Amino acid sequence: MSAQPLPKDEVLATTTRKLPPPEKPSDVRRRSHVILSFWLIVLLLGLPIWWRTTTIYRADLPLQDMLDWADGKACRPVFPLRISIQATSFQDQEAQNLLRLTQHALDDLNDFAGHHLRLQLSDEEQESADNGSALTIRLTPGEGTTATLDPYEPILDITYPPNTIPSPTASSSPLATYIASQLRTTFAEEQATISYLLSTNSMPSEHRPLGLSPETTESLAKRTTRSVKYAPTYHLTFSLFTSGPLPSSWDIEGAIEEYMKPVLEVLSPIHNFTIDTQVQLYASPGVQNQVLNKEDLSSFINAAEWPLSPSIGGAPTINFIVFVGNQTITNPSQESATSQSWLIPQWGTVYLLSLPDDTTHVTAATLKQPLLTFTSHLLSLTGTPESGSLPLRLSTLARIRSADLLLRASSTLGSLARLAMALPSISIPSSVADGVTKTMSHLRLACDNLGGTEGLAHARIAEAEAERAFFEKSMVGQLYFPDEHKIAVYLPLLGPVAVPLVMGLINEIKAWRKRRREKAEKGAEKKEQ
Amino acid sequence: MKLSSLLLPAALLATPALAEHTSNWAVLVCTSRFWFNYRHLANVLSIYRTVKRLGIPDSQIILMLPDDMACNPRNAFPGTVYSNADRAVDLYGDNIEVDYRGYEVTVENFIRLLTDRVGEEMPRSKRLLTDDRSNILVYMTGHGGNEFLKFQDAEEIGAWDLADAFEQMWEKRRYHEILFMIDTCQANTMYSKLYSPNIIATGSSELDQSSYSHHADNDIGVAVIDRYTYYNLEFLESEVKDTSSKKTVGDLFDSYSYEKIHSHAGVRYDLFKGGAEEARSRLVTDFFGNVQNVEVDSGKKGETTNSSFEEEMVKLSRTIAELHRRAEEQEAAERNATASANAKAGAEKKRPRQKKIQPVAKPLTDDNWWTKKIVGATALAGCAALWGLGSYLEGVV
Repeated sequence: MSAQPLPKDEVLATTTRKLPPPEKPSDVRRRSHVILSFWLIVLLLGLPIWWRTTTIYRADLPLQDMLDWADGKACRPVFPLRISIQATSFQDQEAQNLLRLTQHALDDLNDFAGHHLRLQLSDEEQESADNGSALTIRLTPGEGTTATLDPYEPILDITYPPNTIPSPTASSSPLATYIASQLRTTFAEEQATISYLLSTNSMPSEHRPLGLSPETTESLAKRTTRSVKYAPTYHLTFSLFTSGPLPSSWDIEGAIEEYMKPVLEVLSPIHNFTIDTQVQLYASPGVQNQVLNKEDLSSFINAAEWPLSPSIGGAPTINFIVFVGNQTITNPSQESATSQSWLIPQWGTVYLLSLPDDTTHVTAATLKQPLLTFTSHLLSLTGTPESGSLPLRLSTLARIRSADLLLRASSTLGSLARLAMALPSISIPSSVADGVTKTMSHLRLACDNLGGTEGLAHARIAEAEAERAFFEKSMVGQLYFPDEHKIAVYLPLLGPVAVPLVMGLINEIKAWRKRRREKAEKGAEKKEQ
Repeated sequence: MKLSSLLLPAALLATPALAEHTSNWAVLVCTSRFWFNYRHLANVLSIYRTVKRLGIPDSQIILMLPDDMACNPRNAFPGTVYSNADRAVDLYGDNIEVDYRGYEVTVENFIRLLTDRVGEEMPRSKRLLTDDRSNILVYMTGHGGNEFLKFQDAEEIGAWDLADAFEQMWEKRRYHEILFMIDTCQANTMYSKLYSPNIIATGSSELDQSSYSHHADNDIGVAVIDRYTYYNLEFLESEVKDTSSKKTVGDLFDSYSYEKIHSHAGVRYDLFKGGAEEARSRLVTDFFGNVQNVEVDSGKKGETTNSSFEEEMVKLSRTIAELHRRAEEQEAAERNATASANAKAGAEKKRPRQKKIQPVAKPLTDDNWWTKKIVGATALAGCAALWGLGSYLEGVV
């Protein structure tokens, strides 16, 4: 509009100017049909397409079940260990009685509901070994009451003086109490470890066992810190480092065969191992001191120059290093003693081997001590318990690992569920939902078989599936778009289209209302007339 | 009363487990390419050199370099990168392991790295394989703005994306503690959105402040280092000489001043458990160094008994392995016997079963067939309706 007032005659001229011919009603109708069809296309075709193509696919996850697993509501980890008693010299009645009394004594001693020992009588000797029992007690009459663990098989040999057999009417018996306390000491470490595991995870407090002394907790914490995270396969790297040109070869194959293979074989139901070896000449350690103290040891490994991470395959590496040198380690706790090796938690072991200067070949016999050290360190790096006979330690390890895997898979499920809720813009492909279902079914199986051998297998699968579901490759990308970004994308696209559409609609509505008003006025005039 | 007595030991149990970390990792990211951003690569490489000096092995350092300054044709000193005009230390050296280079440095790859959502084909050396006992140093540098950091002038990572990535790490227990350090313009806005616990964050400049370079090398022709990184390095070089240094993170932060950096460096403690006090008491080497808590074996005195014990163990396991093998052989023999019996029985059964499989002319998937039919019918009907509508309108007009 011009601000200047127009002269009068000009105003008159514009008003009297010829108006366009009035629109035909058919034209008006056609125009409204055109506008209507555009809007119909936008609403019925455009909107659904836009909706379909921009929504993020989120598979339905059983969120509540997943959280239940993570909170420990879905599974109450119980380890029913069956212990069979072999009492061939007993009469049936006596044996039953002893069993009942011992079970009573055990139940009285036990304060951790999750880990209970169930006794049973084994009638025939031959089936004792592989009927799923964790331990067999072999009762034999003897001079006094003694208990020894069989080193080769999970058998506890108990001798008893014949007069200690409880009479059928007795309500307690020293023999039963003795057996119970022996069993309890045998499984004390396992109980402590498992209850520690449960307590560090998010299990509800009523499942938590009480009464772990601070010292036990500390030593258990230390052990779990030391042990490597569970993996089905570990890669062992044996390295010979020497600061000079000699020795340049070693009989590591023979030494491993001799001093480590047996243990690896025993561990094979739980872990697989792959092995590689290397020799590095002119390798200088990170610390050059002749006498090493504890602080030096942590920087002894020359991480910058020693090729210690082969990254072969997908398995985590455990390093075993033999360094040829005559450095000594001072141990502040023991003044006179010097040691030659140290363990680095979750990483491996270093062994200082002092050799005569002109040694060119390290024989298997020389490697005996280092290899034996490595072997025992390997056991502690894998988290094997320290007390008891080897077969028992291994079966305990299997149980601890299955509990560990179960807890880890459960907590992964919980993390996934919380993430799915916290990040509404993350896409969840159907493979994740599949993984979750698989994880939960295997977790259920593992939970039901925790004491047995299948527990580990199921827990392993469950953990692998849970990890795969959580680390699903496609669940990434830009998760968060600020609103400004959305406007910046849509405005140039939709603005030019939307303006004529909206304006057309508004004009049309205005015209329609005007027509209606005119009609109403005309109607009123007619009535008046 | 009873409840509290139940809960208390549990709470006591949970705390000592968190006390210590067992591994140190570093994620060092430069996000800009092109010659005039020489200083950003020098920043990252000097931090890389420092963490390596303090003992973090290459396998635990993830280095992201979008460009190769050492081989840039405009580099007057080919094959080298310097972060100081005195050119005393060649940062490129002869021992450098770049994990992500060139166009691999993208927002997506960075988030994938943090959250470990990578494919099977990704080698272990390019993954951040941390666990709940790992301390991580995350250092980033490049060109940024309010709540974003540009990657290669092509895309940007928002403060929200970063916060969500850290949260995913925390949910999956992928870190123990994180020191997040960023040197870019308006750097402090980048950590303002973080919400996961146990993170100490520090940045070079506030909102609407630029982060300046320290000095230029006239022969190289561009600025060689940023101020904030320069003074961090100065502290690390002069105060943290080796891993036994007892300097704390608080000491490092106190060394920042406006006079030196020419912008207000910021620190964020509130995410850290125990707040500022606890966070400031962390050692610098907890993040920049690799301090391992070694366990020295007992001395010579115990060794003799120990070795015999170990020998015993090896012997034992050999026997056990032998026993296992024998048991397995026996089992296998039994299984073979039953299997052969089964096979005979199965062979007889098999023949009639094979007959059942007959070719039937039928669509492969039953359920899809109907939906496809319906979709087709609807499409046809829709076309007919459109045509009808058109002709109707024509008729009306």
